Amino acid sequence: MASSNPMRIPAFHVGCLLAYMGVAVSGFAQQGHPLTGTWNGDWGAAPDHRSQITIVMAWDGKQVSAVINPGPDSAPGSVSVDVVGWTVRIAADLKDQSGKPVHVEADGKLEDLGSYHRTISGTWRQGTTTGSFKLTRE
Amino acid sequence: MKRAKVEWLASCLGMLLIAAAVSAQLAPSSAYDSDRKVKLTGVVTRIDWVNPGAFFFVNVKDSSGTIANWAVEFGNPLDLEKDGWKPSSVHIGDTVTVEGLPARGPARQALATSVVLARTGAKLFVASNKPAAKVASQPAPRWPDGHVRLGPPPGKKGYWGTPSATVLVENTGATIPMNRDGILANIEDADKVAPFQPWAKSVYEYRQRTLLKDDPYNRCMPPGGVRHFQSPYGFQFVEQPEIGRILLLIGGGDRNWRTIYTDGRPMGQKDTLVLTYYGSSTGRWDGDTLVVDTVGFNEKFWFTNGGLPHTEALHLTERFTRPDLNTLRYQVTVDDPRTYTRPWTGGWTIRWVPDEEIQEFFCEENAESTFIR
Repeated sequence: MASSNPMRIPAFHVGCLLAYMGVAVSGFAQQGHPLTGTWNGDWGAAPDHRSQITIVMAWDGKQVSAVINPGPDSAPGSVSVDVVGWTVRIAADLKDQSGKPVHVEADGKLEDLGSYHRTISGTWRQGTTTGSFKLTRE
Repeated sequence: MKRAKVEWLASCLGMLLIAAAVSAQLAPSSAYDSDRKVKLTGVVTRIDWVNPGAFFFVNVKDSSGTIANWAVEFGNPLDLEKDGWKPSSVHIGDTVTVEGLPARGPARQALATSVVLARTGAKLFVASNKPAAKVASQPAPRWPDGHVRLGPPPGKKGYWGTPSATVLVENTGATIPMNRDGILANIEDADKVAPFQPWAKSVYEYRQRTLLKDDPYNRCMPPGGVRHFQSPYGFQFVEQPEIGRILLLIGGGDRNWRTIYTDGRPMGQKDTLVLTYYGSSTGRWDGDTLVVDTVGFNEKFWFTNGGLPHTEALHLTERFTRPDLNTLRYQVTVDDPRTYTRPWTGGWTIRWVPDEEIQEFFCEENAESTFIR
């Protein structure tokens, strides 16, 4: 009888805890330089054709550095930001699925500046393909 | 089994409500709309004498006869008790008329500026406005080795209380009108507050324009940086020269403490420290002044009232001087080259509260009792 499985309650409790943590974490605010941190999201030319991206950005006091898709296929990126309108440009040279070099330029706007889970969204140009992207700070 | 599930569901909902409530504790500037006023008359249904804000709840009948329950915040219990008020000053079932500021947003909540008891016409919870008793100036107490004592004289009680300023600005002599939460009267004065880098000025102005609504302190996060010296309810030094440290017990926030090592160890290295709210502090005496260097701050808090930003590169140099028994001069130099264009200095004085001890205060206390209704 599935409902008598004692493991179901702890699993449910874990769910509660995660939900609780979700609410609690959402209470945290923007911290340090607004671009610092790990950003996750995707880009694509169509809603049903998206590619996952992770960008780690850091502020050293003079410039924002970026690492695109940290790991074996990571690439450094350059970041420029207009701190009045909080528009962001990210440029990097990546490799496409066939391993060929491809240049990427992304122009976006930082939204919800005061939130821990702020976002950057805008236009992503990769080679000859143009699409949209959205990144959320973890 | 169903009953167990229901209990877990109730527990889960309770946790969610508490989390939401913690997020709902806002400072007056961001929680209440000072441009509007509200007048309520109704019957008291509940009294919560809790920190940081005492509330009573009133059933208010509107013109259509519909009854709505309002939460009325009317002060901090520690302050109220000092003025002679008690939880029993108002009773469940009393009819009261409240004038105050309504909450921003849809909540039926107000901050009382006047509470009148209908049956007697008496005004409740009014500050006594008694002038502070003048204390004769006495020299600062000292340890046998000649160092100034930062705590009470031997055999006495006391703690450091209200600061002369609740905001940190660069000590340039400029007049910068702002309220006690650090909200500028004129946003154009931002450049006078501190030598911001452009991004930091933009973030500071955003926080100002949004009335500090995202302040982690209002969600009961610890008052790190200089914030615990700006907060109400005081602090206390516990000097332990025999083991080379000074404990700093904080009355506000959530009664945290901070350790200042005076055993001669070198200042912590930012790259190897676990980053924390209070950082890693080392202290040394420079004549009668305790000089404390602190690094290793995390970025999860706002280090001062008013929303000045910082990064993990923050290095504070604090100077504590006790020229007499009743006065502590606090001066702090802020060095965060990722946020400010140069180091800058500000400070204030803090008054000694003789013969008393820090009272119990927990920022989170409101979370359970006030907003779950």
